[in-house]
Amino acid sequence: MTLKECYAALNGDYEEAMGRLRSERLVQKFVLKFLDDGSFDLLCRSMEAGDQPEAFRAAHTIKGVCANMAFSALLESSSQLTELLRAGDMGDQAQELFQRVKADYAKTAQAIQAFREEAGG
Amino acid sequence: MKNRITRFLLTSLIGVALLCVCVFTFFAIHMGNQSAATINQVGTLYMSSMSQQTSVHFESIIGIQMSQLRALVGTIPSDIIHSDQGLQQQLMAQAKARDFAYLGFYGNDGSFEMLYGSQLTVTDPEPFLDSLRKDQQKVAIGTNARGEKVVLLGMPSPHPSTPEHDCAALVAGLPVSYISSNLSLEENNERAYSFIIRRDGSFVIRSNDAYRNNYFERVRVLYEDVNGITADEYLEELEAAMVRGVDYSNEFTMGGERYHLYCTRLPYSEWYLITFLPYGSMDSIVTGFSHEWSSLTILSGTIILTALLLVFYKYYGLTRQQLQEVEEARQAAEAAQKEAEHANRAKSEFLSNMSHDIRTPMNAIVGMTAIAIANLKDPQQVHNCLKKITLSSKHLLGLINDVLDMSKIESGKMTLNMDQVSLREVTDGIVAICQPQVKAKRQQFDVFIHDISTENVLCDSVRLNQVLINLLSNAIKFTPEGGEIHMALYEEPSPKGDNFVRIHIEVKDTGIGMSRDFQKHIFDSFAREDSARVYRTEGTGLGMAITKYIVVDAMGGTIEMDSEQGKGTRFCVTLDLEKAQVMEEDMILPSWNMLVVDDDRLLCETTVAALNSIGISADWTLDGESAVDMVIKRHNRGDDYQIILLDWKLPGMDGIATARSIRRELGDKVPILLISAYDWGEIEGKAKEAGITGFIAKPLFKSTLFNSLRQFTEPLQVGEKPPEKKGPDLRGRRVLVAEDNELNWEIASELLSAEGLELTWAENGQTCVEMFEQSPVGYFEAILMDIRMPIMGGYEATQVIRTLERPDRDLPIIAMTADAFAEDVKRSLDCGMNAHIAKPIDVQEVLRLLDKYLK
Repeated sequence: MTLKECYAALNGDYEEAMGRLRSERLVQKFVLKFLDDGSFDLLCRSMEAGDQPEAFRAAHTIKGVCANMAFSALLESSSQLTELLRAGDMGDQAQELFQRVKADYAKTAQAIQAFREEAGG
Repeated sequence: MKNRITRFLLTSLIGVALLCVCVFTFFAIHMGNQSAATINQVGTLYMSSMSQQTSVHFESIIGIQMSQLRALVGTIPSDIIHSDQGLQQQLMAQAKARDFAYLGFYGNDGSFEMLYGSQLTVTDPEPFLDSLRKDQQKVAIGTNARGEKVVLLGMPSPHPSTPEHDCAALVAGLPVSYISSNLSLEENNERAYSFIIRRDGSFVIRSNDAYRNNYFERVRVLYEDVNGITADEYLEELEAAMVRGVDYSNEFTMGGERYHLYCTRLPYSEWYLITFLPYGSMDSIVTGFSHEWSSLTILSGTIILTALLLVFYKYYGLTRQQLQEVEEARQAAEAAQKEAEHANRAKSEFLSNMSHDIRTPMNAIVGMTAIAIANLKDPQQVHNCLKKITLSSKHLLGLINDVLDMSKIESGKMTLNMDQVSLREVTDGIVAICQPQVKAKRQQFDVFIHDISTENVLCDSVRLNQVLINLLSNAIKFTPEGGEIHMALYEEPSPKGDNFVRIHIEVKDTGIGMSRDFQKHIFDSFAREDSARVYRTEGTGLGMAITKYIVVDAMGGTIEMDSEQGKGTRFCVTLDLEKAQVMEEDMILPSWNMLVVDDDRLLCETTVAALNSIGISADWTLDGESAVDMVIKRHNRGDDYQIILLDWKLPGMDGIATARSIRRELGDKVPILLISAYDWGEIEGKAKEAGITGFIAKPLFKSTLFNSLRQFTEPLQVGEKPPEKKGPDLRGRRVLVAEDNELNWEIASELLSAEGLELTWAENGQTCVEMFEQSPVGYFEAILMDIRMPIMGGYEATQVIRTLERPDRDLPIIAMTADAFAEDVKRSLDCGMNAHIAKPIDVQEVLRLLDKYLK
């Protein structure tokens, strides 16, 4: 699996990432690092605990990272979640979106995992 | 609540009313009694004084007569005998002169010896004689020979009258009427009347209507009620008072009328004067007063009650009003809450719906980027793509600005940013943005420019773009594959004056159209026709609302629409725009001969007219075959067309085939330009192969033609060389980066270090503040600040840094965050930051801002 295919698998924009980071080496480096980022765990914990400020900050961070990495799918769902949480909404709609973020994250993580294994870990 | 107050008010009102009635009734009764007592008292007072007066009067009358009589007695010498004729004559003369009706000597044995007048008898001689013997003057009643009553005045006289009788007194007689008239016992204005009785009740002088001889008898028969006691008891009381010699006063009822009685003893006699006063007159006065008093009481009671009622009514009204106000306030609060909920819902809806308008240009960017990457070896193609990407990006930017300014539009605070706008550039931009979508849906898209002589106008280009994009993207969206979309621009003189020009923009499609009902709501916010046909079409439902706002409210234009379901829709926007005061470039080209080939006659004519205006004479024709004929004809004449404009899509022989034929006839010498509203990327290869020199994009503005044709004035046209953009030199500058996310930090570090910046990482706002505090003054030259960080956020950190006691506390701080709403930007600036950059990180933008603030 190439990095480009990995991006396709996680619904990201490879060209955008390349445009920003300029080299495949850097993109690959950051993509692999993405799995180590703790923001998603923080989001899950905060959502369960009903901690709206922390959840908002975590969603916001994910949004920022995804914007930089051009992970379009996860960027969109996390952005929407961020806006709901910003407005203090922890209701059904937020939960629904959170499930979407989870799904997008899972897809992203899976793609990166697969890429990592093929790239020789 | 309301009922309780009403009940309380009613109860207290009734209570107070009852109290009023009781108090005033009590007063009325009490005053009634009081007035009765007062009458009694007044009666007693009045009667006693009247009786006193009568009694005194009686005394004085009798006293005068007595003194007369005494004078007579004085004239009698002590030694004379009564038989003396001369003396008798003298006495008689004197008595007559004193108006005595009778005169005689009264003997100790009770016999009369009359000097003149008829023989008299004393009715009750015992007490009379007793008194006289005791040498007391006395009045008594007697009768004359005819039985008439006579008042007798006895004056003791010790002289013997006759030898055989001892003379006790000289007695003079007066008619009873003398006394009664002098005492006014009978005729009395106030209907009071008096009479005189003896102690045993027998009348001395009786009242007119009393026919009985004894008053006591009369009382027993006639008197109905004597002030609550029986007649006998009354009589006992009266007699007791007589015996004791005191005055007696009482009230009684006789013949249905109330009377007051007063009894007093008369002097010189054994007589008692009894006076009656009917209460009638006094009663009526006092009763009148009492009535008046009662009426006043009732009146004042009524007034007080009315006042109370009024107060209660007012209070009740006030209470009700208060309740109503509370109720109104509650309703207002409810309405406000509903409104807030609605606004909140609308906002969420809006955010989640917003994707459509953003996607339209975004798709263009994504698509063009893909094409450019696929054609990296073809700089022309890449350049072409980049141009379109730029246009779409600009539009996207504008759109995002609109989203940020949505609140402005909603609150009516949107203002236009008037600037010089080239209609050509606007139209070109729109066409470029729409083309990918049109192509994707295989729709036929045509743009017509009719007689636009004023290309440069004053307008808000972003808003104008927005209007056109909305109209066109709707047309594309709601037109099925293979449908047609036409956009036309034409101008006419504006009624606003010579400085203005009226621009008509018409967008027509052969799409699904709108129902009549929906046409009424098309310009409402979040309006989207709710039917199965449009179910899958995405959009915010804001487009037309914004369009209408911009065209009608902001720009003062009009927007018309007609639509039929299944046939299509036509929008026509009319705007009066001010002409831009610019020096129009002197667009003159050599006087070439040109040929324009297009299947649309109108396009041909307008294009020829535009060409004429820049100094070119041109022919036109509607199809490829005739075009080839005309070219051959001119060629044979040796008067070739210098340039040929060919439409790509022609009936029969298409543009490329036509070009191929012409090239066969004329060789490569004459430039042939292909007119196309479409992106020519994909046909370019084929076109070049067929001998097409270049392309010219619809719409064909005068300037479009001029710019495209100008290159042929010089034999060799060098492509526009973009100036080499040299980034600012920021090598060695030290920047502190506050960023809580390691990944983001690494990306920033990687990208910015490559530009030669020396970066230091602070994990949160607190660390950032500490590191800055501990650094030597001037060490860090700028800070890139994330906003959402644990422990201390970017806003707070900035505020802390700005208040530090350091000479470099106002170093540039640039917010770098995923928040990109207008209010976030504003808040960053309010907190003392210098600028705001949205993630994803744009290195050029960061460098530009750093360069700007590090100067």
